[in-house]
Amino acid sequence: MKAAPTVAEGFPDLSGMRLAREPHWFRWLGAALIILVLAAIARAFAGGQIEWSYVGRFLTAKVILEGIVNTMVMAVLAMALGIVLGVVAAIMRLSPNPVLRSVAAGYTWLFRGTPLILQLLLWFNLALVFPTIGIPGLWTARAVDVMTPFLAALLGLGINQGAYTSEVMRAGMLSVDIGQYEAAQAIGMGRLRALWRIILPQAMRVVIPPIGNEFIGLVKATSLASVIQYPEVLHNAENIYYANSRVIELLIVAGFWYLLVVSILTPLQMLLERRFARGTMRLAR
Amino acid sequence: MTRLSLLLGLAALAAGTSARAAELPAEIKQAGALKLTVNSTYAPMEYRDPATSELVGLDIDLAGELAKRLGGLKITWSETPFAELIPSLQTKRADFIISGISDRASRRETADFVDYLVTGPQFFVLAESEAKAAIDLCGKKVGTTRSTSFPVEIEKWSKQNCEAAGKPAIQYVPGENSIDVRNQLKQGRIDAAVQGSETLPYAQALEAGKYRIVGEPFAKGYQGIMFRKDDTALREVVMEKLTAMIADGSYKAILDKWGLGANAVATPLMNAAPQ
Repeated sequence: MKAAPTVAEGFPDLSGMRLAREPHWFRWLGAALIILVLAAIARAFAGGQIEWSYVGRFLTAKVILEGIVNTMVMAVLAMALGIVLGVVAAIMRLSPNPVLRSVAAGYTWLFRGTPLILQLLLWFNLALVFPTIGIPGLWTARAVDVMTPFLAALLGLGINQGAYTSEVMRAGMLSVDIGQYEAAQAIGMGRLRALWRIILPQAMRVVIPPIGNEFIGLVKATSLASVIQYPEVLHNAENIYYANSRVIELLIVAGFWYLLVVSILTPLQMLLERRFARGTMRLAR
Repeated sequence: MTRLSLLLGLAALAAGTSARAAELPAEIKQAGALKLTVNSTYAPMEYRDPATSELVGLDIDLAGELAKRLGGLKITWSETPFAELIPSLQTKRADFIISGISDRASRRETADFVDYLVTGPQFFVLAESEAKAAIDLCGKKVGTTRSTSFPVEIEKWSKQNCEAAGKPAIQYVPGENSIDVRNQLKQGRIDAAVQGSETLPYAQALEAGKYRIVGEPFAKGYQGIMFRKDDTALREVVMEKLTAMIADGSYKAILDKWGLGANAVATPLMNAAPQ
């Protein structure tokens, strides 16, 4: 019995040869160029018309810290409102009732179809249309006393967010296998109960990454509320540079805080994802 | 203080004219054009004509006349938010800034001003308001554009006139620009508003009978053309042309066209605003 030849007849045996390392000249050249460009940018920032002492002094100034707290409060509340509206709109959108379906579709159409800054300005100036608001016979108030910058920002951001979130939620609900709906029906569950107990928990796994994405977008979108005088971090940074003309310095301060917040949110999203992926851990890995 | 500044201004002027005829910087002469940046939300100083979308206004006319006298230069206009005007000057996006900007000590750290128009913050209310005099506004909500010098002026006035007299201080409410402030006034979000006195005749003409002016401008200031500190050659040549425009009446004609003849200066001043 002869061992089968490892090399086919007529070919040289290469098994003993050493693998040559490819030099990767262009890869090295590219990396070096990028490092050079980055160094040049860093040098420009260090030597440019930026007074770094102002950045340091205002980084932890009281109004800036209050601003970032206001930013986060607004982002969390608007997201909460957005998720509630989004879930409701998504359920209505998938309902067999044509009225519910069209109202939900109209809501998404209207609020996705107009710029957020326009919606914020409309909410803020609502008193030009409705000077007073209230419940007839029970309670009335001047619209401007109710529609404070805070409420105008919350409604503007939250309702707009709901329109986007509804599409994310709808995608999540559609991603759950049709068999799950049928099984829930077969054991006699009503539609809402099946959604709440069976479908939504499974949809959550799919919707967390895009919702996290939306939330990060929303944190930064709160800066638009500066035009309706909500004192979030950019608004407060602007107020400082309106007074001392150190524009870039204060923009760097605000940028630092946004980056820090987003850097903290990213691992939090991972934790949330892991929790909702308990049932499918093997797949998640 | 003002007299001293006036003397300084005249001295600078004399130095500019007697030593040698000021020269336009070679860079600008070569380009044949001035690069100017405005914030076009401040009628009648600079705004976009609603019908034609052209940039119009007192500053636009003054700049046009200056450019003509600087050797028939063209003007390349660009626009920016009010607070970005100073950075535009620093980054040389603009050769100088003529955009309804007040000469203020804090701004003089980064720029020199050639003052060309008298101005001052002015209280105004809705026509039906109960406030008769400025002192009636103590303890009330007063709004103004937050990117301007007016919030500080209001606070100062309130300290001197309200708090010193034992009345409650004015509550300052921020607004984004003059249109937003007037919108807040119309909705009753604020009780009174403050704008530069030079913009009120236009606002009143636009919405006849809507607003009533309360008292006189409560601080005297100047609007200035803003130059980079190291750009003395350009500053001097512009000052020279502006002096000539005042002398031959073309300056007054432009101010009258915009209904602001009363805000004229007798001679261009350098960094002359009292604060």
